[in-house]
Amino acid sequence: MKRSLVVALAGTALVLSGCGGSSSGGGNSSTASSSSGGSGSSSAGSGSSTAAAAPTSVSTDKPQRDANADLVIWADATAAPVVQKLADKFAAKNGIKVAVQIANDVRGQYETAFKAGQAPDVIVGAHDWLGELVANGAVAPLQVPASVESGFTKNAVAATKFNNQTYAVPYGVENLALVRNTALAPTAPKTMDDLIKAGTACVSSKKCTNILSNQVGKQGNAYNAYPFLSAFGGGIFGTKANGDYDPNNLIVDSPNTLKGAALLAQLGKQKVLSTNIDDTNADNLFATGKTPFEITGPWSLPAFQKAGVKYAVDPLPTVAGGGQMVPFLGVQMFYVSAKAKNATIAQQFVTNYVTTKDAQVQLFQVGKRPPALTAAYDEVAKTDPDVAAWNTAGKNGKLMPNIPAMNSVWGPLGQAEADVVSGKAQPDARFKKAATEISAAIKSGK
Amino acid sequence: MSTDPSPEPTGTTPSGAGNPMLFHHGKTPAWALAAKWILIALALVLCGYIAMRLSDLGYTMWVVLVAFVAMIILAVYGTKRAVPMKYLLPGLILMLGLQIWPIVYTGATAFSNYGQGHLATKEEATAQDIAYSVQQVAGSKPYGLAVAVKDGEPVATGELYFLLTDPAGKNFVGDAKGLTPLTDPGVKVESGSISTAPGYRILNLREANRRSKDLANFAVPTANGGGIKASGISLAFEGRPTLVWDKKADTITDSQTKQVYVARGARWVPKDGQGQPLPVGWKENVGFQNFKTVFTDPTLRTGFVKVFGWNLAFAALSVLTTFILGMLLALLLNDPRIKGRGLYRSLLILPYAIPVFVSALVWQSMFNQEFGLVNNLTHLNVDWFGNTWAARSAVLLTNLWLGFPYMFIVCTGALQSIPDDVMEAARIDGASPLRMLRSIIMPLLLVAVGPLLIASFAFNFNNFGLIQLLTGGGPFNTGNAQIGSTDLLINMAYRLAINGTSPNYGLASAVAIIIFFIVAVISLPGFLRSKALEEVN
Repeated sequence: MKRSLVVALAGTALVLSGCGGSSSGGGNSSTASSSSGGSGSSSAGSGSSTAAAAPTSVSTDKPQRDANADLVIWADATAAPVVQKLADKFAAKNGIKVAVQIANDVRGQYETAFKAGQAPDVIVGAHDWLGELVANGAVAPLQVPASVESGFTKNAVAATKFNNQTYAVPYGVENLALVRNTALAPTAPKTMDDLIKAGTACVSSKKCTNILSNQVGKQGNAYNAYPFLSAFGGGIFGTKANGDYDPNNLIVDSPNTLKGAALLAQLGKQKVLSTNIDDTNADNLFATGKTPFEITGPWSLPAFQKAGVKYAVDPLPTVAGGGQMVPFLGVQMFYVSAKAKNATIAQQFVTNYVTTKDAQVQLFQVGKRPPALTAAYDEVAKTDPDVAAWNTAGKNGKLMPNIPAMNSVWGPLGQAEADVVSGKAQPDARFKKAATEISAAIKSGK
Repeated sequence: MSTDPSPEPTGTTPSGAGNPMLFHHGKTPAWALAAKWILIALALVLCGYIAMRLSDLGYTMWVVLVAFVAMIILAVYGTKRAVPMKYLLPGLILMLGLQIWPIVYTGATAFSNYGQGHLATKEEATAQDIAYSVQQVAGSKPYGLAVAVKDGEPVATGELYFLLTDPAGKNFVGDAKGLTPLTDPGVKVESGSISTAPGYRILNLREANRRSKDLANFAVPTANGGGIKASGISLAFEGRPTLVWDKKADTITDSQTKQVYVARGARWVPKDGQGQPLPVGWKENVGFQNFKTVFTDPTLRTGFVKVFGWNLAFAALSVLTTFILGMLLALLLNDPRIKGRGLYRSLLILPYAIPVFVSALVWQSMFNQEFGLVNNLTHLNVDWFGNTWAARSAVLLTNLWLGFPYMFIVCTGALQSIPDDVMEAARIDGASPLRMLRSIIMPLLLVAVGPLLIASFAFNFNNFGLIQLLTGGGPFNTGNAQIGSTDLLINMAYRLAINGTSPNYGLASAVAIIIFFIVAVISLPGFLRSKALEEVN
């Protein structure tokens, strides 16, 4: 977070103007952005809970271009050690030097660095950044041969495209699923009612405090709210004829979405969902055995394994009067900067090396996300049972929209969810209001 | 000063006599001269280093500026002229760099649409839009590629050739003119790409990378305006941009869909209004548009007024509560009858010693409605961060905890500087303790602490970090995710600039400038008043 030169300067100007003397204005931005609800996405989830120890080969300094390196890659703390190993192989093969650097907020720091002409050659991150990166002219289009592209899952390939142009190479797919404490709930609930029954039994036996852990928070969490809306066929954007999300077709106030909103209100009343559960305590509740279920993604597993909880990964349940809850799919990928100083090496690395099976299997170690390359997935699934479970849970998942208009959705939709769950507002009226706000924001962003 | 024609002062000239320079008459010692020149040299080396870094990054304008500063340093400190400037220059440079420049930059940004999707110039943005429109020619197959120069040509500058292998195994040489078949029997192909070709020197990855710029501009022309371009060093594609920019008419035409785009609102939009604009927009001057938006956009305007009201109240109440608590504790612990005052004082300063990041996050978890310490201890069920007024109280409580030690420290210091004889005189005159507090201690205390209170007000007026860490500006009970109940103006500006729907640095700069004037207007009478207080002495 923080995040931009201009704002740092603006902040400085403000502090100076106030004779504040302390640097509270501009300097905080990095900490602040990590706790932001507004820019929420799958990356928000993965960033908060996993912090792998960095090996010595990875620089933990503030990322900065290394002038001696032939290729500079920025990745978050979880991905960097694995990417470093991968890059080392590539470097040894080609007799070059690769620097992998940790950025706490890859997206924000990259955009700042890009504006200042200091961008790395390659960044590793989520697919929903794409629309914004394209709008800012910050990523380079990539040419991936059709024969290579066909090896990836359909969703992963779709995630790399914007207006029919390919901009990235995918390596992992992530989605929400129901993680269950097998000691507290021996059987997987098929329906939301089953889940509530099992959870209530656990709570009334005083073993647990909460029926379910699902991040909501006082400002909501649209990413975690989406499966409740999709269960009735609702969602955020409608699609164009070619399957792309259409920013002009907002369905936040469609009848199907409103059914989902009513479910959120009902579950809030039943104390299944609570605005008091947020990113600071959701994983902890599950890891300490205070709830039998948590709706979360693969990034939470290391914390559960560390706590020694026995868990199983199940598909999200079905809801009464609707179908199965469908999570968003997030795709992790490699982008090449539009102003890469080492464009040739960056292209060679991303399009010819990251696409190989060996590389994809190795990249599975980043957060244990199911690989995007089918051949790599098959190999990994043989040894890791969780992978197949995540994949099953995400089977019908919908790609998270990668259009820039999505930036206008996270905040208002999340807040609407929080207000409905806490019972402050009527679901219908509140979601309609959110839809108005989102369309206005999309319009003004144009 | 050796050139000074006046004779050396002798006898009992009073030191200075209004001109401190007189004191320095006489020969400057050699070590001082050496030190002076070493320092000047160091400053120049530093300037040189900065200029080098800047020129590496391509900021030629700034290199000129740095050179100018270096010349001024040399002129001011290397000569005996401009004595006052010798004292003022460091401050002047810092003021220009750290105060004037950010203000100018913020001001300039406020009049532009700089923000999400509007970062580059029109030329750059359009070039990017066209680059993004390049599609592989339908039915074309990728070529195996080797990048080469002619034998004997320098690798770094020689004319580039593409040695191409099509999927059928046929080899070609591609140059700026087009493709020619390569039938030399000495050609060897390894894993799809040519590895040796007589007469050509094939570049390795690092060599090819050094020529990335040439490669980006190099394409082997093919039919229909297409071109074969490299992707890395082992693959090449036949691609064609679908967009054509007619600079004269200032339109872009999509050669496939025949859609015509015109420049409107700093981006390319379809002329007939159907469909999406091109993704990349550019930065341009928008005049007073951003200020107009702040004052006319209904949500922003009402939000601005609301946030401003709370911002004033927050800053004033924060100063008031922390000052009262800090002063009372200082008065209490100033009483010599209390034993272990040092220990108490150190304990009270502790909250000040803990970084605000840590304590704000701890307080945040303590205020959790269901799991938090505050509700659990008090058996209340207050929705601290969900209710507007509860959230505001929580923010003020936390800031009280964070801020009172500072007031405690300054009040303790100020109290100890109040002369005992004044207090004793009052006591002898029969003043009650309350009367003494009101008529003696407070006026004398405020002389010392008054300016600090104003500074504290200004600091809290922009206490971005606390709000961001504690509530994130929430709760957002107005049904607008841009305007939070505990938002300060700076938090709102931050959300507009960075965190919100789409970053808009121009608008945020406009808000920042407005805040600047507000703080200035509020602070001015305060400082004037503190001058009045000084006259008490």
